[in-house]
Amino acid sequence: MTGGSTPTLSMQRLNALALLLLNAAVLGAAVDFDKEIRPLLQERCVECHGPKKVKANLRLDAKARAFKGGESGPAIIAGQPLKSPLLQRLTTTEEDQKMPPKGAPLTAAQVAAVRSWIEAGAIWPENEVERAASRDPRLDHWSVQPLRTEFGQAKSIDDFVAAKLKSAGLTLSPEADRRTLIRRLSFDLHGLPPEPERVERFVQDADPKAYEKLVDEMLVSPRYGERWARHWLDIAHYADTHGFERDQLRPNAWRYRDYVIDSLNADKPYNLFIKEQIAGDILAPTAPPSVIATGFLAAGPWDFVGHVETRSDVLKRAARAGDLDDMVTQVMTSTMAITINCARCHDHKLDPISQKEYYGLWAVFAGVKREDRTIDATEQNCYAADKNRLTKTLSDLNSQIAQLSGQGFELASLLPTESGIDYRTGKITKEKQGYHSGLPVNTLQKVDQVPGVLAIFVPDGKGTVLVAANTPVKGLPATNGHTWDAIANRPLNAQESTKLNGTDYKTKGHTILGMHANSGITFDLPKLRELSHQRTMRLTGLVGFGAGAAAANSRADFTVYVDAELKFQKLKMRKNETAALDIEIPDSAKTLTLVATDGGDGIGRDLLFIGDPKLQMSGAETKLTPADLKRLTALRAEAKLAEASLAKLTEPAKVYAAVPQATVAVIKINRRGNPEDTGAEAAPTAFAWAKHAPVAFGGNELPEGARRLALAEWITHPENPLTRRVIVNRLWHHHFGQGIVATPSDFGLGGDRPSHPELLDWLAGEFQRNGWHLKPLHRLIVTSSTYRQSSRTTDTKATNLDSANRLLWRQNPRRLDAESLRDAVLATSGKLDLTQGGPGFKDFDYIEAYAPIYNYVSPDKPELWRRSIYRFIVRTTPHTFLTALDCPDPANLAPARMRTTTAIQALALSNNEFMLRQATHLAARVEKEGGNRSAAIRRAFALTFQREPLPTELRAAETLVAKDGLFALCRALLNANEFAYLD
Amino acid sequence: MDSPYSCNRRQRMVGRRDFLWELGGGLGGVALAAMLNEAQAATGPASRNGLHHAAKAKAVIQIFCPGGLSHVDTWDYKPELTKRQGKPFDTDGKVQFFASKPGNCQGSYWPFRQHGQSGRWMSDLFPQLAGKVDEMAFIHSMQSKSALHGPAMFMANSGFILPGFPSMGAWVTYGLGSESADLPAFVVLPDPRGLPPGGVINWGAGFLPAIHQGTTLNSDPLQPPLQDLFPAKEFSHLRGDAEKSSRDFLGALNRAHAETRGANSELEARIGAYELAARLQLSAPEATDLTGETEATKKLYRLDHADIGTFGRQCLLARRLVERGVRFVQIYCGAENTGAKKIRPNWDSHEDLVRDHGYWGPILDNGAAALLTDLKSRGLLDSTLVTCTSEFGRQPAAQGKGRDHNSGAFTAWMAGGGIKGGSAYGSTDDLGAKVAENPAYCYDLHATALHLLGVDHEKLTFYNNGAKRRLTDVHGHVIKPLLA
Repeated sequence: MTGGSTPTLSMQRLNALALLLLNAAVLGAAVDFDKEIRPLLQERCVECHGPKKVKANLRLDAKARAFKGGESGPAIIAGQPLKSPLLQRLTTTEEDQKMPPKGAPLTAAQVAAVRSWIEAGAIWPENEVERAASRDPRLDHWSVQPLRTEFGQAKSIDDFVAAKLKSAGLTLSPEADRRTLIRRLSFDLHGLPPEPERVERFVQDADPKAYEKLVDEMLVSPRYGERWARHWLDIAHYADTHGFERDQLRPNAWRYRDYVIDSLNADKPYNLFIKEQIAGDILAPTAPPSVIATGFLAAGPWDFVGHVETRSDVLKRAARAGDLDDMVTQVMTSTMAITINCARCHDHKLDPISQKEYYGLWAVFAGVKREDRTIDATEQNCYAADKNRLTKTLSDLNSQIAQLSGQGFELASLLPTESGIDYRTGKITKEKQGYHSGLPVNTLQKVDQVPGVLAIFVPDGKGTVLVAANTPVKGLPATNGHTWDAIANRPLNAQESTKLNGTDYKTKGHTILGMHANSGITFDLPKLRELSHQRTMRLTGLVGFGAGAAAANSRADFTVYVDAELKFQKLKMRKNETAALDIEIPDSAKTLTLVATDGGDGIGRDLLFIGDPKLQMSGAETKLTPADLKRLTALRAEAKLAEASLAKLTEPAKVYAAVPQATVAVIKINRRGNPEDTGAEAAPTAFAWAKHAPVAFGGNELPEGARRLALAEWITHPENPLTRRVIVNRLWHHHFGQGIVATPSDFGLGGDRPSHPELLDWLAGEFQRNGWHLKPLHRLIVTSSTYRQSSRTTDTKATNLDSANRLLWRQNPRRLDAESLRDAVLATSGKLDLTQGGPGFKDFDYIEAYAPIYNYVSPDKPELWRRSIYRFIVRTTPHTFLTALDCPDPANLAPARMRTTTAIQALALSNNEFMLRQATHLAARVEKEGGNRSAAIRRAFALTFQREPLPTELRAAETLVAKDGLFALCRALLNANEFAYLD
Repeated sequence: MDSPYSCNRRQRMVGRRDFLWELGGGLGGVALAAMLNEAQAATGPASRNGLHHAAKAKAVIQIFCPGGLSHVDTWDYKPELTKRQGKPFDTDGKVQFFASKPGNCQGSYWPFRQHGQSGRWMSDLFPQLAGKVDEMAFIHSMQSKSALHGPAMFMANSGFILPGFPSMGAWVTYGLGSESADLPAFVVLPDPRGLPPGGVINWGAGFLPAIHQGTTLNSDPLQPPLQDLFPAKEFSHLRGDAEKSSRDFLGALNRAHAETRGANSELEARIGAYELAARLQLSAPEATDLTGETEATKKLYRLDHADIGTFGRQCLLARRLVERGVRFVQIYCGAENTGAKKIRPNWDSHEDLVRDHGYWGPILDNGAAALLTDLKSRGLLDSTLVTCTSEFGRQPAAQGKGRDHNSGAFTAWMAGGGIKGGSAYGSTDDLGAKVAENPAYCYDLHATALHLLGVDHEKLTFYNNGAKRRLTDVHGHVIKPLLA
């Protein structure tokens, strides 16, 4: 049935209909579906509503589909012919609605039969053909079928490839020469060129197993893990900054990068590798690598402004939705090559994956966020215990010191209990206030009601700021000029904690002066001397955050002035830091000013307060007995020691990874992908298209960790039809430049079909037999004749038959990817630093700002000559040189590298400072290692091309070097196609 | 239609040099613009006749005002807002903007007047553009899916709030290629004060081949116009004839290499790319050298003015690039929110709108008006689509002396190639807080621009990770009332 909703029939037409129905009623009697209805449907309906055409998504050739109906709902309502659109469409007189649209209308008898049949209950005996027709053909898609285990005679890669070639009348190309093989193998397994000496040894090696020896040697080298980690990090879209507007650093992300390298080098079974990355913190919470592995879930971009900075809940929900989509998409496309994200707004258009299943996967990750986290809980506990013990000791010592040296004069208590000073009026207020954005900045608000306080103000730190009459100060950091609540003798409005270094300042005997950024208060010192009866004074107190965990990234500053002199300043203090004040105040000083500012990142969560702000009487101890005085000296020495030990405590290592949350949000389906329009709840599930194991992991009561573990087990289930196929295809892709399935991250209906389906399954079987280890699989592939073929054969028959080389009648020539090219240049010049692991090298100057600035610096520094895998990757400021060479934007999951050829690339390789400097270094190297001109030229060829120059090349090179020097030659060689391509 | 190239050309190319891209790029039609001159050969006819239908415009100049340009102070006349000056905006106290609770209603800081034959309203912030209203078509009902600069910038440029999607310029060059034999097809002129929020990935190619990414042109006259156009300082002797022997040597090496590898014609493309690079060393400085411009032109763009002149220079460069066949030029009028000392480096006027819009207004006004005048006088306006947008607008309620972000309403305008001057589409509510009629998103702006270029936005697709992606996602309507 075409067209939209059922038409409203006019009275006149209803009459006509009634007449028809009357006729039908006369006929009455039971109708035999198989005799009367099925032939009618077949003859008049199925042409457009059948297997060939499915107009309006309605099929009338199979029971299940006919009753399910099409776009306008069910076509047949048993027992109710008048309500069944099938009958309505047969009988309507509306031309554009009438069925069938072509040919003669149905006879009255035929219509009557349909009516009677529906009225009698629409009994439709289903046959086998129908059952097959009503089955969703997508369920038969190749990639979700169980893996084959029977392969007939075929026992090797070459058997499968040769058989296919034979049926096309083609054969494998001859084996490539040894120079080509070692270069190919070295770039494939290490991402680096082979040393000329190793090339010569291999070429001369008489051992018939020389190649296999070489493969084994290369697979045990740590260069292997560094190379293959790049491929995995591409599909994890790993980078070392957050991305988006405030693209801040992730200084601890690199530990995950090293985990990938180490796991590959150790040949960790792939199923364990996957499980650890999804739920390592649950599997083995005390094993650091297992915890670090969850850096995988955190590897993608994350919007600080959307998650933290904005005050709008709508925007926060949108950011979180993007976050969950990113996690789910990354996990499912990397491991199972399913484009799950297509089901975010509606059921997947191509694959039978429902929107509900997609949100079921959200529920799996609903309890994790991306954050810096502790790696080793034991170490962290020791650290926390030490810190607590020392801070407690220090706090005890300080209170003993305070008792001996006098209690001091409490500043917070100048204000009445539980009150504050209103920024707007300077008057005492009992009211808890909120956000102030429109207050005049740098304007002294006189305070008359609090003796000892002269004024308060909101600083914006721009230029000089007046802290008291005729007292302009400099050196305040710039702020956004906003503030919160009031300066208060109580915890601030929304303050979440009153503890600093283990002391709760809310308890008896302690005081709190709440000063949310941005705020300043100026005390009247002569008045305070009068009130306290103290002359020579010291300001003491402890400044810190009264915020919760969400303030982890928030920064704030604290500054103290005595008169106009800056006496104390702590900039960009973090939530886990405190600042102890101990400031001498000269007897002649007139004002004391305390200023809290926002650390340059807005005032959100800058809930600063001072615990026990006091003016201690300096020199009070002169009145003490010698014994007390001695005790005081000893206490102070002890306190100094405790402070020093505290300062020496180093916080245990962290990693930017998945952090389980205390409460797991309940996920609801987002209609049309809109987080503000939610539907039914989604419980943690996988998708039922892959049917190797149950997909419902439990209800929403399932604990956070159990959800991820369940998904990890489901993905790595031995019978999962996709996981093994996907990883063996990824390996194949990187060894041949093209996978057996040419879309390595899409094994769905929109993706490619395998060129060698049996081979893919055979490889997956071998992979399993080898305990899911990757190295035996590499060995299997690279030792095959298929891999070892020459790429240079010019077989016109094969070119005509299979120009895309899907049948693998030769090896594919490939261009080096951006990182391999950069590493190869460094290796060739002799400058490559092979230091393994650790924080990435930063080839930029980092300028801290609202939106941090990354200025790339001259690449001519030895500390920047490490392998590209160790580069600190910035999302918003991609490396222009590498980007020109098709290094992908880490916002994207990149299963395969693009290979474009552009003039911008030619400019980058010819003129970029990196290339020119390295060409200079290469020239110096070959000059030194060669000795004379001709030897230097030959050395340059050996280093760049792994071969001797041809006589013509040598002559041309001699001429060039004589005229323009070795540099010109080296620069040309590094730009040559032979350097940039693998045969 | 997936491939923007005609079938016979595609057949010729397939198997010759593009198979590696197909591997890297997936199965969608990868535009075959291996080299700029090839692209021209391939798409000369397409660009004249359009890819899917006849084109009205053959080039686009997009002016982007990052930070959030306040529509209620500029293009969108809201007398009711002025009437309610000082009255509460949110009487329930429930509304929460990006960074603040709404203050009271704040009318436009600049008076509005009607202009031209069409009688369109514009505020006094733009006295010169006011004289151009009969050339301009306004979309007053623009909205964004995010009120955050980063995601909203990505959305305005690529249709998606996440990074990683191709920008409009990339899609256009993917679809239409270049008209220039020796300049990039998509050129971006960032504000000399710095990059916009989100950085260079605002003009990235996303998952499209890298050739389609915007090439950043340095508008500083003292710097080479393109990155790595010439060797770095200490290697400055490597210019012109000094390069000839090296270049010849490299050419000979590459040709000998290619001869023994007949099956890999990508090698030939790379040889061509080096030849084109050499040509770029001449064409790029020529295109950016303003010494040949008349005094009148220089005056028109006010090149001598310290602030107005830098944007004027960007606009003048845009005109010169389009003249030379560049397909898509994006000009930024504003930078990132960095190092805000006095005046904000873009339109993000949270704390002092008069100060910041007051600074940026004359800059945009002069540059954009000069560009329209100049294009028209050269007969280029008919074939060049000029657009001007921001990532979102600003709230009608006060935030101190400024305004907070407003993703619910803003205005964009278009002029030139195929646009009906003096027209307008959509409207906002009485206060300019939200869209009232004919809501529009960047999808519609993009669909309309593509339409004028002869491209059907639903047919320009590229396969990526399971979906045939479009610039307009699954949305977008050509805004017919604005078409000439």
